[in-house]
Amino acid sequence: MIKVKNLSASIGDKQILDNINFTVEPGECLLITGPNGSGKSTLLHTIMGRPDITASGSIVIRNGELIDMPCHERSQAGVFMAHQSPPAIDGINTMTLFKEIQKVQNVAGSTSDLIKLTKSLFNWIGLPEGWEKRQFNNGASGGERKKNELTQAVYLQGKTQVLLLDEPDSGLEQSSRQKIIDLIQETKNRRGCVLLVTHDKELQELYSANKLDLSNA
Amino acid sequence: MRKVFINSESIDFLVLPYEDVEFVFIQTRKKCTARITIRPKANVKFKVKIYIYAEGDSEVDCVCTLNVSKEVSGVETDIQIRSWPFDKSKIKARPEMFIANSNIIANHGNALGTLKPEDKYYLDSRGITDYKELVKQSLLNA
Repeated sequence: MIKVKNLSASIGDKQILDNINFTVEPGECLLITGPNGSGKSTLLHTIMGRPDITASGSIVIRNGELIDMPCHERSQAGVFMAHQSPPAIDGINTMTLFKEIQKVQNVAGSTSDLIKLTKSLFNWIGLPEGWEKRQFNNGASGGERKKNELTQAVYLQGKTQVLLLDEPDSGLEQSSRQKIIDLIQETKNRRGCVLLVTHDKELQELYSANKLDLSNA
Repeated sequence: MRKVFINSESIDFLVLPYEDVEFVFIQTRKKCTARITIRPKANVKFKVKIYIYAEGDSEVDCVCTLNVSKEVSGVETDIQIRSWPFDKSKIKARPEMFIANSNIIANHGNALGTLKPEDKYYLDSRGITDYKELVKQSLLNA
């Protein structure tokens, strides 16, 4: 469950969101629509707690109020964001990052289990052999970065209460869309909730039953 | 070849490369002075990567010198240095090239800096705040 009340957000002097209200119940997916620049991504970043966004109002999930919580605590409280433009991080080894995620998110399993699991997830999503040895997203295409995001989302789905998907399909081949649909379904089955921003017409149609239009946000 | 130096104080290393070489310096205390000399034979292709991590008030002063004599031709190389100075640490690193033969291809690069705000936000969004440890462990485990 996520309950957003009177949420406003600005970056510097520029107000992006004004008085947003919605509730997503456990097991539901909310499609967020609106033209470019309407604040769809900003809404997801505001929920995630991006530090340069000043927010007021209330964001409540099962684990409590998020509005004054720093970003890393929101993550540990069960908010996962698949970023629209994930960075390449120089010097950070992909497998080492997964080990650190396992540690801070208290995911059970030995290091060898983790290595086996991540290798099989990279293989399942279609990332190249040896991906786990590479520096994080270094030299990766946009599509590969998106697949890396989906891999992490799947890895953490047992911990995720609120899944934020910011254009998860862009740059991905058609065959990967089903993996996004499966991820959303699995999150719903676990009584988590999903906030989806997408320009993909088929995904929009699939999740149009529950929609938030930010055209006038 | 990969060499890792942890809290070393003085390093003078001569490399006669026939494959890619990688040096990692992890400095958490004191000062490290490092001189790496690369002296290739003719017709070898190799890359040199030097990663330097420093934290606290430690210091690293590193010079990587490519030395190619007149008789040696057909060498292709690329020397890249990447440094992460955390806290109050200081890193001075530079590549040098002394090349006496015109049939050589040699590139070099030198980058210094810690994590960008967008990188930190990304890691925060995964619940990670100990960025230094992550970089250090990445360099050690690569």
